[in-house]
Amino acid sequence: MNIQAYIESGKLELFLLGELSDREREEVLALAKQHPEIQKELDEIEEAMLAFDQASAPIPSAGLKEKIMADLEKDFAPGKELKPTVAPEETGKVVKISPWKPFAVAASIVAVIASGLAIYFASKFYETEEQFLALVQEQEVLADNLNQVKLQYEETDSRLDRLVAGDFKRVEMKGEAFEMQKDAKVDVFWDQGQQEVFIAVNKLNSLGGEYDYQLWAIGPDGPVGIGLVNPGERFTLQQMQAVAEAGAFAITIEPKGGSQSPTLEKLVVLGEVA
Amino acid sequence: MQEEQLIQGLRARDKKTVDYLYEKYSRALLGVIFRIISDQDIAEEVFHDAFIKITRKIDSYEESKGRLYTWMANICRNSAIDKLRSKEISQSSKTNGIDDFVYGLESQSGTEEHVEGIGVKELMNELNEDQKFVIEYIYFKGYTHSEISEEFEIPLGTVKSRVRAALLVLKKNIDRI
Repeated sequence: MNIQAYIESGKLELFLLGELSDREREEVLALAKQHPEIQKELDEIEEAMLAFDQASAPIPSAGLKEKIMADLEKDFAPGKELKPTVAPEETGKVVKISPWKPFAVAASIVAVIASGLAIYFASKFYETEEQFLALVQEQEVLADNLNQVKLQYEETDSRLDRLVAGDFKRVEMKGEAFEMQKDAKVDVFWDQGQQEVFIAVNKLNSLGGEYDYQLWAIGPDGPVGIGLVNPGERFTLQQMQAVAEAGAFAITIEPKGGSQSPTLEKLVVLGEVA
Repeated sequence: MQEEQLIQGLRARDKKTVDYLYEKYSRALLGVIFRIISDQDIAEEVFHDAFIKITRKIDSYEESKGRLYTWMANICRNSAIDKLRSKEISQSSKTNGIDDFVYGLESQSGTEEHVEGIGVKELMNELNEDQKFVIEYIYFKGYTHSEISEEFEIPLGTVKSRVRAALLVLKKNIDRI
């Protein structure tokens, strides 16, 4: 294209006067980029316009600048010289914002105390519950023991009742005559009328797991096993099976559970009915 | 200050840059307005608003669409034309043409700035009648070139070439102003 002709068309002047359509403006800008001559011409005309504008201006009234600058004051970004006046504002802001901080601190402290108390009381609760359970167990054990004792007492009481009320003979059985246990001593209490037999162990060695002491009533029909004797229950009455007639009582060591007939070699004690 | 720096400073709302902008361009921009509105008080009022508009609208200025001064001058020119066409301004406040304008200037001059150089009056004398006519209507009365073409039945191309010729004369005499 003819650049000179384009420059002379007057379009550039109208461009600077802002009188071109958007499409024409784009065209001028594009061409100015492509052709330095056009850009140069634009710059020169602009300079001329600026100089002309300047020359045609009146003397501005006094205070015009001050008024404009004052009206723009709030638009300006805070500069360096403004900082000292800004600083106190900032501290003012801090004071304004700060109330949430003590609240937050107070809330945190309350939370910490509450948590601490919760943990303390929870541990106390569990501790107390444990103690309570232990006491309940202990109480149960004691109740059990009491029941046992009560039972034993009732048993003993009933035996004593029978012993006192009945017509019991005391038959002393001793081990002096035999090799097994020289110092063994067991008493038999026998109510012949009621056919009741009790024994009370005074001294009898304990046995291994495979053996039992067996009590024999020796009558007209020979020895009859009337029960196993517990050597550990000393000085308590152990009820045996009923016997109507007996001339003597004896204890032998028999295999676990007792035997049909006594093992005479292992005779421990013997006592004759007086 | 480079134009680039100037624009950056304006966008950063830097007070010193605005001060610089005012010092460098206020006279010319006020000139743009004063050519259209001869009442100095009203012209300064328009300039006040236009200058504030310039600093506030700087973000919408695109460097690729032309130089900063052109953008600013057009804002001032359009503000002045808007004011001129509004009913606020009385008929008597309008300039009647170059002679009134030049007379107005001379009546208040006497200051060294206007004594120096050939001045606007002499500059206008450099133009022929046709050139003076388009300059008067475009620069002093706020007409667009198409308005001149329509109103005075001058072909659009002729208006354009006369504006061009007038500005060439101004350009030529720029150093003498």
